[in-house]
Amino acid sequence: MQDIGEPISCAAAADFKPTIAACRLIGAGKRFFGTWAVRHVDLEFRAGEVHAVMGENGAGKSTLMKMLHGVHLPDEGQVEVFGRLVTLTSPRAAEAEGIAMVPQELDLFPDLSIVENLFVGRKRPRTRLGTFDWATMRRSALSAFARLDIAIDVDAPIRSLSGANAQMVEIARALMHDARIVIMDEPTAALTEREAQRLFGILGELKRRGVAIIYISHRLDEVFQIADYITVMRDGERIHTGPTSGLEMTTLIQMMIGRPLSKLFHRTRHPAGDTMLELRSLSRRGVFGDISFTVRRGEIVGMSGLIGAGRSEVAQAIFGIAPATDGQILIAGHPVSIATSRQGIGHGIIYVPEERRSQGLVLEYAIDWNMTFSALDRISRGGFVSRRREKQIAERFRGLFSIRCNSIGAPVGSLSGGNQQKVLLAKALVVEPDIILLDEPTRGVDVGAKAEIYRIIDDLAAAGKAVLVVSSEMNELLSMADRILVMHRGRLTGSFEGPDFPVAAIGAAAAGIVAEHNEDVTLHPGAVV
Amino acid sequence: MSPTIVGPLTPTEAPRRRRPSLTRTMVLFLLLLAELTVFNLLLPGYMSPGSLLDTSRTFVETGILALGMTFVIISGGIDLSVASLLALVSVVMGLSFQAGLPLPAAMLLGLATGIGGGLLNGAAVAYLGLHPFVVTLATMAIYRGAAYAISNAAAVSDFPPWFTTIGQSYFINGLVPTQLPILLVAAIALWLLLSRTSFGRRVYSVGANELATRFSGVSVERTKLAIYGLMGGLVAVAAIIQTARLSTARANASMGLELPVIAMVVLGGTRITGGAGGILGTLLGVLVLAYLQDGLASVGVRNDWGLVVVGAFLILGVLANELFRKSPR
Repeated sequence: MQDIGEPISCAAAADFKPTIAACRLIGAGKRFFGTWAVRHVDLEFRAGEVHAVMGENGAGKSTLMKMLHGVHLPDEGQVEVFGRLVTLTSPRAAEAEGIAMVPQELDLFPDLSIVENLFVGRKRPRTRLGTFDWATMRRSALSAFARLDIAIDVDAPIRSLSGANAQMVEIARALMHDARIVIMDEPTAALTEREAQRLFGILGELKRRGVAIIYISHRLDEVFQIADYITVMRDGERIHTGPTSGLEMTTLIQMMIGRPLSKLFHRTRHPAGDTMLELRSLSRRGVFGDISFTVRRGEIVGMSGLIGAGRSEVAQAIFGIAPATDGQILIAGHPVSIATSRQGIGHGIIYVPEERRSQGLVLEYAIDWNMTFSALDRISRGGFVSRRREKQIAERFRGLFSIRCNSIGAPVGSLSGGNQQKVLLAKALVVEPDIILLDEPTRGVDVGAKAEIYRIIDDLAAAGKAVLVVSSEMNELLSMADRILVMHRGRLTGSFEGPDFPVAAIGAAAAGIVAEHNEDVTLHPGAVV
Repeated sequence: MSPTIVGPLTPTEAPRRRRPSLTRTMVLFLLLLAELTVFNLLLPGYMSPGSLLDTSRTFVETGILALGMTFVIISGGIDLSVASLLALVSVVMGLSFQAGLPLPAAMLLGLATGIGGGLLNGAAVAYLGLHPFVVTLATMAIYRGAAYAISNAAAVSDFPPWFTTIGQSYFINGLVPTQLPILLVAAIALWLLLSRTSFGRRVYSVGANELATRFSGVSVERTKLAIYGLMGGLVAVAAIIQTARLSTARANASMGLELPVIAMVVLGGTRITGGAGGILGTLLGVLVLAYLQDGLASVGVRNDWGLVVVGAFLILGVLANELFRKSPR
């Protein structure tokens, strides 16, 4: 811990055990507009190992990976692949060297089939007539999935797949072309625990076949589970490289953020107030059914479950985006009908969507523009928007949430993911809601920003708001929620009181498995209020 | 990791703060100056205030349509039916006047027809979820066909002098055409509406990110309905001015006018896919293209070539928008 802050030089590389180096960066660096994004990095990735690269947003991880994937040419230093110096001028050139990338944002074509997607941008086999040879393509697709031990309908459109399966398609795409080095950028961001575990199984298989896996992730727990080696980047420099075993999680976090962190998240406990939100057998035909629970003022209720279990849909029904078809919503004890998001806001409800880029923000517009957009009525008179009020509000939240930006007039897309998320939270709070529905509030956000977002959510509860948090990150719910609800296939299958949650039982409920001793009655044991 | 958007974001004024980027405004200004200078060389006196103001008679109607089209295109839509609706409004007004309705009442009926036609477009786009291109391509035929059908292709032309004054007289020493202030007032009002009001912000937002707009508690449907309704109202205003200018209401009025209207908006920097643009840019686009058309006609270039030029400028406009957008930081 004493060496935090000073980059470890090549000395660290000396204690690598002699295995085959799949690729090496030798004094590599990249400069953008005069500023070094990555400076003088020596790093070695070896065959048959999972090597995690960690760091906060802006630490240089992505730039590093882009140099390996042919997107950026290094401005200094060199790249060596299997002992040979190479110049990677394009992703295609990288692929020719056996380097494949599974991007963070899946870039698949939703309406094309799996086979078609696998061959997008690749050389497609032709028949003698010159038409595409789909039979051959299907065969290689099937064999790629067989190698991954996944049964999947290769003719199905991507749209019909779960997030995990779409991820598998990206991995198959990488493997089909005999990639010996696979870069994965936040592969579990869109996956639930269980889907992630399946991915890790596949990573194990890849390791056995001698593939070098470079793994970028913000999730500490999974890195400790699967990585053999961990490299920490900070401010464009390599801070640490070493085996996972023997590394303390707190040490790792400190190295990443460069400052000591007292505690990841500290929830202030305080008594909950009156019931603010109550659902009675809320249903939306074909999506979810018979959902009943309450959220009290000052309470944080977590919602767990697999992707597609209907958690977001319940939250969106409460907000009015996709209204319920049956059942009742009560606010402060009064039944209300909410058919549009406008009515939802009118009833003091706000929903913070999980996809901040597509559902939450207009990235190319200014920060203050975005923050006030849901609450234009509050800052306009006679339809005319008061720029003065708008600036005040935006500056207040900028200070309150320590949003790091040059100016509140900057486009929100110029901010880091964590700061974008804070703008999204501010946007929700400007309408001064009583009930706040958060959908994956820390998705794709670095450790530092995560802690800040937890603090904000905690403050909201302390201020007497009723908070519902949908999250696929178990740790997040365990440390934050007063109560955890679990959904499986559109039904509530569990409700657990904190602070000491039975993790195994929550996992079982999410998988739709009910406690054995009570089979006949516990179809959804949590559907009680 | 997150896509960073760099530098001057949009070709012109995206909502606030991003005023029309100076370079683009400058380019349009220089273009206008250049074409006027050339025409002035060929036709001495073309650049005199009297001549320039007189020419404005030819583009007041197109200009008003372009103002409305700016809203439509910024919201991610398109309205191909404006010229057809203009003819329909004109015919409805003319025929009801001919049938004995007092002219002010006939004008109101025309206004109602315009707004109604616009709302119909808007309803089909917003509530049926149809693509505006298809919807307005259909209504382009429907409105034009209706205009022919109800008028039997006959023209109405015995309008009273007070009415034709709107389109044929001048004030301030016979310098300023009567209809020019209408364009100016409309431009100022619509500029305020688009850049200063909450409605204006919703227009931008719908065009930039419809889904996020919906998640922000805004009714995308109502916003779209209002935009196309506004467009219809402006079509009616343009129809009244044009009918007065030509002293005639007939079904083949303003054939093909949607093309220059869209070209002017795009040339003015409004992004064809929505989310960026503005009234000031559109006004410049109107001036550049209108004087170019008029000048070419004045120096004796046949009308067919004028159309070629308009088409070419539409492509140039789109291209320029792309170039300006991709310009480095």
